[in-house]
Amino acid sequence: MAESIKDVIRQFVMESAQIKGIKEVGDNDSLTESGIVDSLGIFRLVSFLEENVGVHIGDEEITQDNFSTIAEIERFVNAKLAGKGETTTTR
Amino acid sequence: MAYILQQLLTESFKRYAERTAICARGKSLTYRELEERSNQLAHFLRQRGVKKGDRVGLFFPKAVESLVAMFGALKAGAVYVPLDPNQPAERISYIISNCGIKGLITSEDRLRLLDPAAVPSVEFALLTHEQTNGSPRPNAFPWSTLAGFPAGHAPELQATTTDLAYILYTSGSTGRPKGVMLSHQNALTFVEWCAETFNVTCEDHLSNHAPLHFDLSVFDVYNGIKAGATVYMVPDDVAVFPASLANWIQQQGITIWYSVPSALVYLVLHGKLSAEKLSKLRIILFAGEVFPQKYLKQLAELLPHVELYNLYGPTETNVCTYYRVDRSILPGMEKLPIGRACTNTEVFAVDDHDRIVGVGEVGELFVRGPSVTPGYWGDPEKTAKMCVRNRFQVHFEEKMYRTGDLVSPDENGDYYFLGRRDNQIKSRGYRIELGEIEAALLSHTGVCEAAVIAVPDEEIGNRIKAFVAPHQPGSLTAVDLQQHCAARVPKYMIPEVIDLCEGLPKTSTGKIDRVRLAQTGPVAAR
Repeated sequence: MAESIKDVIRQFVMESAQIKGIKEVGDNDSLTESGIVDSLGIFRLVSFLEENVGVHIGDEEITQDNFSTIAEIERFVNAKLAGKGETTTTR
Repeated sequence: MAYILQQLLTESFKRYAERTAICARGKSLTYRELEERSNQLAHFLRQRGVKKGDRVGLFFPKAVESLVAMFGALKAGAVYVPLDPNQPAERISYIISNCGIKGLITSEDRLRLLDPAAVPSVEFALLTHEQTNGSPRPNAFPWSTLAGFPAGHAPELQATTTDLAYILYTSGSTGRPKGVMLSHQNALTFVEWCAETFNVTCEDHLSNHAPLHFDLSVFDVYNGIKAGATVYMVPDDVAVFPASLANWIQQQGITIWYSVPSALVYLVLHGKLSAEKLSKLRIILFAGEVFPQKYLKQLAELLPHVELYNLYGPTETNVCTYYRVDRSILPGMEKLPIGRACTNTEVFAVDDHDRIVGVGEVGELFVRGPSVTPGYWGDPEKTAKMCVRNRFQVHFEEKMYRTGDLVSPDENGDYYFLGRRDNQIKSRGYRIELGEIEAALLSHTGVCEAAVIAVPDEEIGNRIKAFVAPHQPGSLTAVDLQQHCAARVPKYMIPEVIDLCEGLPKTSTGKIDRVRLAQTGPVAAR
C-alpha cells in the first residue's frame, strides 16, 4: 500500500530531528524554531520531496508559509499535486 | 567622543529620542524606551548585588529585550555574556560556570533547561516576559519588575574604556569553548572605524543577521545605535528561507547588510534577488569565511548599485583588515584579498624566522592596536600563547595577537588569506575547532578512536565528516553518535556523515593520519 504524503514527509523530518536529539515532532510544531530545518536542511528537504513525491518546487515557493510545519508541507505538496492533476501516490 | 559603549545610546537618545532603535519579532523600541528600560535594568542588577565587572548572561532568542539587556548590563558596570539560545544545556552550563555568571537574563523555557546544581554561580534570573502558571523559581523575576526602578538615569558608575564590556565564547581546540574578553575600547575602536568608513546615518536601516554571541553583531548593534539608525533583527524562520529573506530585506528597507558569505550564497542561488527589489540596499559587508568567487561575481551582477566589502578578523580583534570590492577588476579576479588594516589598527605578517615578510612572501598575520583583546577569561596560559609580546616594539612593552592565519601581502599593501596553521575550520561562517567535535565523539564510552575532517564545499565552506572506530564493531550507529554530539556541541558542529570503521590510519609518529583519511578513507582492519 502506498505511503501517504504525510508519512513521507514525517520520515525525512524525523531523521533530521533524531540527529539533533529531538524525539517527537507534532504535525503543527515549528520545524525552524526547533532547528530541525535550518538553511542547509531546507534544501535537502526540497530535494527529498522532489525525488520522492515527484513535484518540482520553485525557489519562490520555498517560504515559511509552505514549510514551517509538517502539516504545512503536506498541504503545500498536496496542492501542487492536485494542480498537476496527479494522484497522491509515491514512488 | 564615547569612551564606554553605553554613551553611544545616551547620546543618540538625546538627539533621536522618538526614532525607532530596534525592531524584532513584531516589537520595537524607540531610543527613549531603550534608554529608559536599560536604566531600569541597570538599577535592578545593582539591587541584586551586581558589582562592576560581574558577569551577566543573556540566554534567550534574539528580541528587543536583547538590547535592553546589553545596555542595562553595561550601565551597571557589568560584563555581559551572550549565550547561544540553541546550544545544548551542558555547553551553556559549562560557559556559565567558566566565567562565573552571577545573573541570567533569560526566557522561562531556557531557564528550565538548566540544572541549578550545574550553575551554582547564578544567583538570580530576570525573565524576558511575565511568568506563566507553574511554580515560580526562587529568585526568578518577571520583566515587569523593572517598572519599579528609576528610568531617568543610570546608576553611579566609575568606568574606563579598558574595562571589559562583554565576553564572546568561541570553539576551543581542546574540546572546551574559550571566552574572548572584549573591552569597551576594543569595541569602540572597531565602531569608530565603521562610522568613518561606511557613513552610517540615522536614516539607515541595519539588518542584524548574526547571533549576538558572534562578533558580527557588534557592527549591527553599536553602529546602528551610534548613528541613531534602526536595527532590524532577522527572524530565525525568515533566515532559513531565502525567498522569504529577500522579501524581508525589501520590506524592512534594509540599507546595510552584514553577514557570513554562506547567507549571501543562499540568497544568490535561491533568493530571486534583483536590483529593483533591493533598491534601498547600499552596502553589503561579509566576513567570517572565504566568499566563493563565482557566487560573489553573481551577487555583484545582481546588485550593481551596492558597495561590497570583504571584512576579516578573528573574534580576538573584531575586524582588523578590510577590502572594498573594485567592480571594475572583479570579473578578472581569482581571489579576493582580505585587504589592509582598519584605522587605528596595525597588522603585519611574520615568517618562521621572526622577520616581517615582503611582497609576495608568506607569513602569519599579527595584529596590534586598541582593538586587540586583553585575553581569554580564566586562561592565562592560552592568553600568553596567543597575545604575545610585540618583539618589533623596542621602546615599550605591548602585546600583539597572533591570528594563526597565513597571509601574503601584494604590491598594493593588500593581504591575501592563504590558510590556517592548525585545525580550525569555517563552516557556514562558524568557527569550528575540529578537536572539539573529536572530543565530543571520544567522550562516548563505546568509541575507541575518532577523527574529524573538513570536506571542502562550494556553498558553505566546509562540511564535517567523522571517522569513528568503536570498541566493539557494529555496536554503534551513526545516528547514535550524532545524538551523542547533539547533547554536547552546537548543531552546526554535528558531523553530517559518520563513517564507522575498524581502525584509523596512522602516521609514522603514531598520530591519526588525517590527510590520508581525507584522501582515501579509513582502513578496513587495524
